[in-house]
Formats: sequence, structure tokens, C-alpha cells
Amino acid sequence: MKFQCVSLWLLGIMLILCFVDSRSLRKCLISTDMHHIEESFQEIKRAIQAKDTFPNVTILSTLETLQSIKPLDVCCVTKNLLAFYVDRVFKDHQEPHPQILRKISSIANSFLYMQKTLRQCQEQRQCHCRQEATNVTRVIHDNYDQLEVRSAAIKSLGELDVFLAWIDKNHEVTSSA
Amino acid sequence: MLPRLAVLLAALLSLRPGSNAHGTELPSPPSVWFEAEFFHHILHWTPIPNQSESTFYEVELLRYGIEHWRPIPTCRQTLMLSCDLTAVTLDLYHSNGYRARVRAVNSTQHSNWTITNTRFSVDEVTLTVGSVKLEIHNDLILGKIQPPRPKMAPAGVTYESIFSHFREYEIAIRKVPGNFTFTHEKIKHENFSIQTSGEVGEFCIKVKPSIGSRTNKGMWSKEECISLTRQYLTVTNIIILFAFVLLSGALACRLALQLYVQRRRKLPSVLLFTKPSPFILGSQRPYPETQDTIHPLDEEAFLKVSPELRNLDLHGSTDSGFGSNKPSLQTEEPQFLLSDPHPQANRMLASGEPPELGDSCGNDSSNSTDSGICLQERSLSPGTQHTWEQQVGSDSRGQDDSGIGLVQNSEGQAGDTQGGPALGHDSPPETEVPGEEDPAAVAFRGYLRQTRCTEEKATKTGCLEEESPLTDGLGPKFRACLDDEDGWHPPALAKGYLKQDPLEMTLASSGAPIGQWNQPTEEWSLLALSSCGDLGTSDWSFAHNLASLGCLAAPGGLLGSLNSDLVTLPLISSLHSNE
Repeated sequence: MKFQCVSLWLLGIMLILCFVDSRSLRKCLISTDMHHIEESFQEIKRAIQAKDTFPNVTILSTLETLQSIKPLDVCCVTKNLLAFYVDRVFKDHQEPHPQILRKISSIANSFLYMQKTLRQCQEQRQCHCRQEATNVTRVIHDNYDQLEVRSAAIKSLGELDVFLAWIDKNHEVTSSA
Repeated sequence: MLPRLAVLLAALLSLRPGSNAHGTELPSPPSVWFEAEFFHHILHWTPIPNQSESTFYEVELLRYGIEHWRPIPTCRQTLMLSCDLTAVTLDLYHSNGYRARVRAVNSTQHSNWTITNTRFSVDEVTLTVGSVKLEIHNDLILGKIQPPRPKMAPAGVTYESIFSHFREYEIAIRKVPGNFTFTHEKIKHENFSIQTSGEVGEFCIKVKPSIGSRTNKGMWSKEECISLTRQYLTVTNIIILFAFVLLSGALACRLALQLYVQRRRKLPSVLLFTKPSPFILGSQRPYPETQDTIHPLDEEAFLKVSPELRNLDLHGSTDSGFGSNKPSLQTEEPQFLLSDPHPQANRMLASGEPPELGDSCGNDSSNSTDSGICLQERSLSPGTQHTWEQQVGSDSRGQDDSGIGLVQNSEGQAGDTQGGPALGHDSPPETEVPGEEDPAAVAFRGYLRQTRCTEEKATKTGCLEEESPLTDGLGPKFRACLDDEDGWHPPALAKGYLKQDPLEMTLASSGAPIGQWNQPTEEWSLLALSSCGDLGTSDWSFAHNLASLGCLAAPGGLLGSLNSDLVTLPLISSLHSNE
């Protein structure tokens, strides 16, 4: 009896910790001003998406793929996607127009800041990457590789709104006026 | 040579721009875009140049990243420049978006596809408001915003369900006919209230929605107008009015009650007493106001009193007919003042004087408002007494005399005076016969009223005329005119009642020295001096008072024996002291 009670208590505590853990991850990105990023993207959306000539191909595997990610994997997937954009998309894209380039640069800087805050959260808690999170990341990279680099970069930039919407949904982000 | 030219011509011809027979020569629409509201997605495009009647357009739709292009049957072969794609884009709010393309089709040709520039996603939906309902509530405009409720929305999908958080609205108000003023503040709920701060008129309001976490654009709603009128029948106003009515009613009742009580307090005229003095019996004051009035003694009356009267026992009988032996009371009463508030009446009454009273006393009957003693020889006779009485009775109206009248020897007369309510003049009948009484035996009977002199008599002596200025003074005033009659001045001026004292009688009869006079005079508050003094002035003018003294002296001989001056002086001094 005592052993069962103790085990039950331990299980309950673990569940609570996991719940808190997942919630705590969400709190890591609260301070980020997502609204500013979204506004920046809207200003260049038309120019970038107009250059996308392959509408029937997607890189971020649509929302269904991202929607299927469980809360435990959110931290890992967010970290991987931020790395994807910062390391591959922003570097591969060559923007001739300075106004659009400025906006893209501001978005990239915001992604860097988000990476930094997420890394601090990781040091406090464990941001363990499970297999499902790893699989999603690999699919995205594969989609990106199937296209030409310039087209892929343009398409990935054009799909930023999908990525930002997914972050809003999975992380507690307060709306900023 | 010739084949080369042919080839060259063919090449040139092929390069010539012209319509393509394969159907790709048709120009494509310049631009295609979505104009979408909540579950109202319309695809627009611009027409091709040189559009002919047979040109129509085709639309194809693609879900981004998933499907291939599929044609839209509802928009097939349409001449319109827009097409409603709501039905095929119902899951716009849960997907990555759509892409659409349009091309122009001719009977023989079709143009290239023109694709929408951007991926049609939920970010491109323009936010709108269904309706705004306004109502007025106590100087507040309450508004309720209704989100759009499109028909094409699937069951269970509402504006609130899709945009569950951060719904905001901006409100603009204007007062007709002014311009809109924007609040620049966003309301986070569908219910709002606006404070009008008492303004009256028509107000128009419009609303623009937005989502805090999104970059969706919003569209201003239609303006809703409501007119604000000044409400008078609010609950608070009604309560205040009711309370006011209650208060005023209570006040009115209280006032009415108070008035009623006050009225009750007034004594009936019958019960009105001027002064609680023994004189009341004899003297009647028809006008209470005259109680305090001091009428100057009429010099003329004094002067006219014949010296004979002085010697008369009238002095003794000058005792007022009150029959009350209370000499002390004399000093108390201001009733001494014999003022005639109605000199006119007195005049009239004076006319009724019997000729018997040739002297001033008789003529003064009309003016006998005074309470003084009127010394007249004739008055000593009983007949005169009657006349006195009668006259006095007739003078009742004008005589504000305190009721002192000549007291006859008989008690009955005194009783008459006492009983008569109209005492303005009643006393005289009683006081008329000094001679009949034995001065020594006659007890003090009060004050002897002095009758007034008529104007005529007053004119006799210039001194009398001077009386008028003396009316104001209460103190004894000395008339300078002693000239008129030898030693007989004061009686005319004296007003009021001369207290009759047995001592006086003895004095008068026995010719007591002046010293004896002093005592009674001191007690006197009234002086019955002149028979016909003008008592209307109610002035204590003891002119010389020689006459008064002379009047007081019962026997004429006594007076004659007495030095007028000597008599006057102590009297005056006593009067002063009394004053």
C-alpha cells in the first residue's frame, strides 16, 4: 500500500513537472514581439510571393504537418525551424531591392533573438528532441532541397507567415499593439 | 537566288507580330487578385484589352502545396470580371492558403494564365462588422457590435470561433452635422458605452474591427445614428419632484396651521384691555394706541377755565368717576394722556356742547379725550354735570380719554363711569360736580378727566397755539403764556387726570399751603388741569401749571390766595419727578 501510494505520488509529480515543463517552454517566447515580425512580413509579402512560380509545392509541409506536432516536440521543432531559416533561407536568398532587404533583415534579427531566448530556456530545462520532431525537421529540409536554391529560398520566405502563425499557436505570445 | 528570298520572306513573316492561330495570342488579364471578407471571397481581375463580345474568362484554383489546379465550374465562361469563390475556399482559415489563376478565352483562342500575386490566406481577409445597435440609457449611448454572420459559413464556424482572441474595435463618433472624431482607443469587447455628458442632438457612430495579433485590415462599418433628447422624466427627476411636492405640502400645512393658531390667539375686541388700571372703569379707550400717546395739554383750555372753577370743589370731584380710591394707580398709568385721535370728531362733538358750558370746559367736551381735570364752575352744578355727561357721552368716540371723568358726589355716577365700556368720555359725568361734594369727605375717586378746549378757545390765547410743538414731549412743558389769564394757564395745558386726594380736598378747601400740594402732585401721573386744554396732543405740557394748580385748588379762594407761582413750582417739580 505504501509503495503504491508513493508511486502514485511520484507519477503525479512527474506529470505536473512535464506539464509545467511544456508550459515553461511557451513562456520563453512571450517577450518576443511577434506582431512586429508579422507586420514586417506583410509589407514584403506581395513582392516575395509573386516571385514564387511553383504554387503546388510547399516546403513547410503545410499546416497539417506542423499541426500534428505534439506539445512536447514544440520546443525541438521551433529550435530546428529557427535554425533552418537563419542558416539556410536567409543566407540563400539574394534580394536586389533595398526596401525588401531591410524588412528581411529585421525578420532575420528577430529570429536570432528568438533563438537566443530559446537557448536560455533550454539551459534551464531540457529541450529534448524526440523522433517525431526530428522527422518533421528532416522533411522540411528535404522539400527545400528538391527545389532550386533560389526558388526554394523565395518559397521559404513566402511561407514565413505559416511559420509565424504556427509559433503563435504553440507558444503563449501576448499580442502587442 | 529566289529560294533564299523566299526563305527570307518567310522568316520576316514569321517574325511579324500578329494573332497566333494556336490560341495563345489572346492577352491574359493584366492582374488578378482576391477581395475577401469573412466568408465572402471574391476573385477579381482586370479585363483584357480589345475585349470582344465572345471573350470570356476561366478561373482555376489551387490549394497551396497540396493540389493541382482545378477549374471552377461556376466561373466558367463568364463575362464578368469577378467570381465568388467562397464555396470552394471554405477552409481558408485553417489552411496555408490558395492560389487562383485566370485566363481569357476566345472562341478560337485562349490567353495565358494570370496567377494571383500572393498566396490567398487568412491574412488577406478584410475584417468587417455585421451591425451596430445603439440605445440610450441615462445620458449614455450603449452600443452593441454584432460580428458578421455570413450565409456561406459552415455550421459552427463563427467570427468569434476563428478569431477567438484579441478582437478589437475602434469607434468614431460625430454629432450631426459635424465631422467624425476618432477615439483612437480600441475597445476589446463587443459592448461599449459612450458618455455624452448631457449633450442633446443626433449622434452617428461607426466602428472598425481589428485583430490584435493579426495584421488584417479592417473596414469601417456603416454609421448608425441615434438622437439624444433631454429626458425630463428620468427616475431621479421623478423622485426629486415627488419629494419636492411632499415638502411643499408639508410646509403649506404647517403654515396654515400656524396661521390658524395665530388667529385664534387674538383676543376678541371685547376682551381687549388697554391697561389694567382702576381707571378702566371710568375711562374707555376706544383706541388702544392712544394709551401711550401723550397729548400736549391745550393751553387754551387751561386759560379758559374760569378762575371760579378753581375754587370749586370740582377739585375734589375731579376725581375720576372711577370711584376707585387708589391714588397710587394714577402714577402708573399712562392713561393720563388724553389725546384725541380724532380731533375732527371731537370738533363735531364739540359743536354739540350745550351752551351751558360756556366756558372752555363745556366746549371741550368734544375734545375731552384728555384725562385731565377740567375746572369749570358750571360744571359744579348738577345740571352741568348732566351736560357733561351727555357731552362726554357723545364725545365717546373722539375721546381717548382714559376714562377719567368728573366724579360726582354720588357713587352712582361713579358707578356709571365705571360700568361704561366706552370710557373715553364716560368719566366726565361723574367728575362733574365737585361742588356738591364735600371735599373733605370725598374720598379719592380717581382721576378727573379733563375736557378739551375747542380750537376757538385755543386761539384765544397765543399760548395754546404753541401747544402743538409740545405734543412730542412727554415732560412737563411750561407754557410761556401765563398772560392770558391771570394765573389760569395751566389748566388748559394740563392733560390727563388729576389725582384726587382727600388731602388735596382739604388743602383746597382749607387753602392749605403749597406744601401740601406737593405730596399729591408727586403721586400724580396725570394732571387734570385745564378744563379745556387741548388734550389731543397728549403732551404733558404743564404750562406754567399755574392753571393746573389753580384748577386743583378746590376753592377759588384758595387759588387766589395761593401765589400762582408758588403753586406752580412745586407742581412742576413734582411733575418732573413723576416724569
